[in-house]
Amino acid sequence: MQHSILWLFLILAAASIIVFTYVFLSSKKANESDQGMNQPLKKRFWFLLILFVILGIFASVTIPKSPYYLFADQTPVRVLHVAAMQYAFILSNDAINPESQQGETDVVLPLNELIEFRVTSFDVNHGFAIYDANNQLIAQTQAMPGYVNRLRWKFTSPGKYNILCLEFCGMAHQGMRSSFTVK
Amino acid sequence: MESLKTRKITSVWIVIVLALFIVAIILGILMRLNQGTIIQQSPVTFYGNMTTHGLTMIGIWFVAGMAAVNYLMERYVKTSYGVNLFALICTIIGVLMLWSSTFIGHFHAGWTFLYPLPFKVAWAQWATPVFLASLVVLGVGWLVWSVSLMSQILKKYTLSQAFAWQHFKKNPAVETPPFILITMVTLVGVIACLLAAVLLLVLLFAEYFSNGSFVNDALLLKNLTYFFGHTIANEMLYLGLAVIYELFAEVSGRPKWKTTWYVAVAWNLSLVFILTAFFHHLYMDFVQPEGLQIVGQLASYLASLPAAGVTVFSILVAVYRTKINWSLTNLLFFIGVAGWVIGGLGAVIDATISNNFVLHNTLWVPAHFHTYNAMGNVLFSLGFFHWFAHKFDVGFNIDKNAMLKLTLILFGGIGFLLAFYIGGADSIPRRYSNYPPEFTMAAPLATVAAVFATFYLLAILLFFLNITKKCIKIMSSTS
Amino acid sequence: MYKNNVFYFLVIVIIGWNTSVYSQQDNIAWKEESHVYTKVLDAPLKGYGMGDSTSLLQIAHQNPTILALIFTRCTGICNPFLLQLSEKLEWEIEHKNFNIVVVSFDPRDTEADMSALAKRFHLDQEKQWIFGVTDSIKSLNKSIDFNPIWDEARQQYDHEALLVGINSDGYITKKLIGMRSTSDLALLVGSIYNSFTPTHQLPNKNRLFSCFNYDPKTGKNTPGLGLLFIALPAILTIFILFASNYLGKSERIG
Repeated sequence: MQHSILWLFLILAAASIIVFTYVFLSSKKANESDQGMNQPLKKRFWFLLILFVILGIFASVTIPKSPYYLFADQTPVRVLHVAAMQYAFILSNDAINPESQQGETDVVLPLNELIEFRVTSFDVNHGFAIYDANNQLIAQTQAMPGYVNRLRWKFTSPGKYNILCLEFCGMAHQGMRSSFTVK
Repeated sequence: MESLKTRKITSVWIVIVLALFIVAIILGILMRLNQGTIIQQSPVTFYGNMTTHGLTMIGIWFVAGMAAVNYLMERYVKTSYGVNLFALICTIIGVLMLWSSTFIGHFHAGWTFLYPLPFKVAWAQWATPVFLASLVVLGVGWLVWSVSLMSQILKKYTLSQAFAWQHFKKNPAVETPPFILITMVTLVGVIACLLAAVLLLVLLFAEYFSNGSFVNDALLLKNLTYFFGHTIANEMLYLGLAVIYELFAEVSGRPKWKTTWYVAVAWNLSLVFILTAFFHHLYMDFVQPEGLQIVGQLASYLASLPAAGVTVFSILVAVYRTKINWSLTNLLFFIGVAGWVIGGLGAVIDATISNNFVLHNTLWVPAHFHTYNAMGNVLFSLGFFHWFAHKFDVGFNIDKNAMLKLTLILFGGIGFLLAFYIGGADSIPRRYSNYPPEFTMAAPLATVAAVFATFYLLAILLFFLNITKKCIKIMSSTS
Repeated sequence: MYKNNVFYFLVIVIIGWNTSVYSQQDNIAWKEESHVYTKVLDAPLKGYGMGDSTSLLQIAHQNPTILALIFTRCTGICNPFLLQLSEKLEWEIEHKNFNIVVVSFDPRDTEADMSALAKRFHLDQEKQWIFGVTDSIKSLNKSIDFNPIWDEARQQYDHEALLVGINSDGYITKKLIGMRSTSDLALLVGSIYNSFTPTHQLPNKNRLFSCFNYDPKTGKNTPGLGLLFIALPAILTIFILFASNYLGKSERIG
C-alpha cells in the first residue's frame, strides 16, 4: 500500500512542478501587453470545486477504513496483552503485572483468525507497530500509559512478524523490539 | 514608515536566524550521517542533537516570520521597538538555555518533549527544569510580541476591519490590506498555540513540583503538545505568506495585491481549520475520541482549500502570461510556494487516517514537514532576507550567484527530501539513531540524504555570507 | 499588562485546582485486564431472585450478566459500592435486559444474609438483581482473579470493589475495579453485549480530565473537563482579542 501512496505522491508532485514551471515560462515569454489569465475568478471557482469534490471523495472513501473498529462485530480467537516499557515489549496471554513484568517468549498466533492486541505502557508513550516478513508496516497503535488500546487484526500470511517501537521513547528507542510467529 | 531602529533590529534577527540555521542544518547532517553509519554518535548525543535541531528550526523560522511581519507592518501601523527587542532578548536567552540543557545536560526528550518522557530523567537532573524554563522564556517573549503586534493593528483597524469582514460586501468603505488580514489571522493562531504551550508548561511544572502527588493525564498533554507544536509550525508558514502577499507584486513590478471577498473568506475560514487540524497527530492514539479524529482529517483536508484555491491560485494567476521582473526575491517566493504545495500533498496523504495507519512515525512524516520548511517556508524567509538586505543598496537588487544558490537549493533539497519519502514508503521508522539491519535501504538512503543536504547547506552559506555582509552594514549605519 | 494577568490567573486556577485533586494510577490497575476473554467458572449459586437457574453460567446464558463481589459484614467499601451501582445502573437496567449477580465471597454469608442485604437496598423486588452465595467461592475467585485478604485484626476482608462483565457465552468481557463513573459502567454494560470499543482508561484515583462523559440516558457523549482544557487556549485568545480591540478603540477614535 505504501508504494502506491508513494507513486501517487510522486505523480502529483511532478504535476505540480510542471504547472509551476509552465506558468513561470509563460511569464518569461510575456511582454507588457499580455493580460495574464482570462477569467481568473471563474477558473478559480472551478478549481476549488474540483478540489473540494476530490477531497470529499477521498474523505468518504477513507474515513470508513479507519482502523479503530476493525472486526468490531467478531469475537477474537486469541487475545494478546502487550505492555510497552523502556525498552522492551512484554507479550502475554493474560494481563501483565508491572512489578513482575512476566511475559511469554516465542509467541505463536493462529493464521486467518481474529487476534486482539491489548496494548498499554508502563511508563512513557510508545508505539506498537507490526511489521511483516517483508519489513512493511502493516498495523500499529500507540501505547499510552494509563490506557489500553485494542487493535484487532487477522494475519493472512504465515511467518515471523516483528514489533518495533515507533514512538520516540528515549535513548534505546531504536533497539526496542519484539516478535511473534503466525502459523 | 519603519524607523532606523526597526531596520537595525530586523538585521540582527536575520543574522541570528541564518547563523542558527547553519548550526541546525549541520546537526541534521550529522544525524543523517549517523543513521548512514558514516559516523558513530552515542544514541544520547544523537537524540540530544535531534531535540536541539527540531526546536531550533521551529524557533528560528517562527521568529524569522515574526521579524519580517514586524518590519513590514511598519508600513501600516507603528510597532513597538521595545517589545521587538524584548522578544529578541528572550529568544537569545531561551536558545542558550535550550542548548545548555541538550548539549551540556544531555536532555534528549525530542522537540515534542512528549509527557511523561521529560520526567523519565536519563540526563542531568537540572536539564529537565532548564529545558522547560527555556520554553517559558521563549514563550513569554513570543507571546508578548504577538499580542503587541495584534494590539497595534487594532489601534488602527477595528476588529471586523482587521479580519476584512467588510470585504464580504461590494465596495467596502475601508480597505484592509491582505498583509494585515493574513497577519491578524495568523497572530490569533499564534497566540492560541502559545497559550496552549503555557497551559502545557503549567501542568508540567505542577507535576514537577508536586513530588508525585499530582500526575497528569497523558492524553490531555499530548493534545496540548500537538495543539502547540502543529499550530506553531503551520502559523510560521502563514507569516511567510503574509510577506509574499505584501512583497510579491511590488518586487515583480506589478500592481499591489488587494483583498477581495474570496481572499477575506479564505483566510477567515483557514483560522478555524488551522486550530482544529492538529488532531491529526493523534490518529494512532485509539484513546482519542473518534469524533476528534474525524475532525482532524476533515480540518486537515479543508485547510488545503483556502491555501490552494486562494493563495496558490493567486500567485499562479499573478505570474501566468504576465511580465514579471524576476529577481532572486520573487523567484524564492515562487519556488517556495511550489515547495509548500508539494509538502501539502504529502501532508494531506498522511492526514488521511487509513494512510496514517501505515505511515505514522515512519520517515514519511519528516518527509512532508521538511518539504514544507526546507523548500517552502525557508524560501519565503530567504526571499524576505534577500530583499531586505539589498533594499538599502545603492543601486538595485543585485542577484549575485542567484542561479548557483537556486540550483544548489533545488538539487540539494529535492535529493534530501526524496530520501525521506522513499524511506517512508519503505516503512523505515523515524527518530531512530541507527536503523535495524533488516532495513537494507535505510543507511544508504541516510548517507545519500546527508550528501544532498550538504549541497543545500552550501547554498545557505552563500546566502549567509552575502546577506550578513549587508545586514552588518545596516546595523552600523546612521541613516 | 493584562496578558500577564491572564497568565497569573491561569497559574492560580490550575495550581489551586490541583492541590485539591489527586490523580494517580493505582498499582492494581493492571488487574482489570487479567482473565479477560476467559470463561468464568460455572459456579453453583443459591440465592434470591434466581428463578430456575442454579448456576452462574445458566444465568449468563439467559441474559448477559454483571457479577459484583461483596460480603455482608463489610464495614468498608461494599455498601457504598452497591448503593452507587444501583443508582448508576438504574437507567441502563431499565432499558436493557441484563442481570446483576451480587455474590458474597465470605463463607459465613448465607442465603438469608443476602436476602436481607437485597431488602436493605430495596432491590429485593427488582427482577434483574440476583443476590446469592456459592460453595465454590475459592474457584470462582480464581477464575476472575479476585483475591480478598482476610485481616484477622479487623475481622474484615481487604479487597477491591470488583465488577465482572460476562457475556451470554459465559466469557469475561471486561472488569472494573473501584467505584467508577457512569461512562465506565456504560462501557461495561456495552461489553457484555459484545459491543467493541477501541480503547479504555485504566482506573485512576481521580477522573478529572476525561474528555467526554457518556450519558446512557441520551446515549451521547457530553464534553468533559479535558475538552475544556483543550479549548481553553482558544477561549483565552478570543478574550485577548476582544480586550485588545476594546483597548485599541480609544486610539482609533482619538
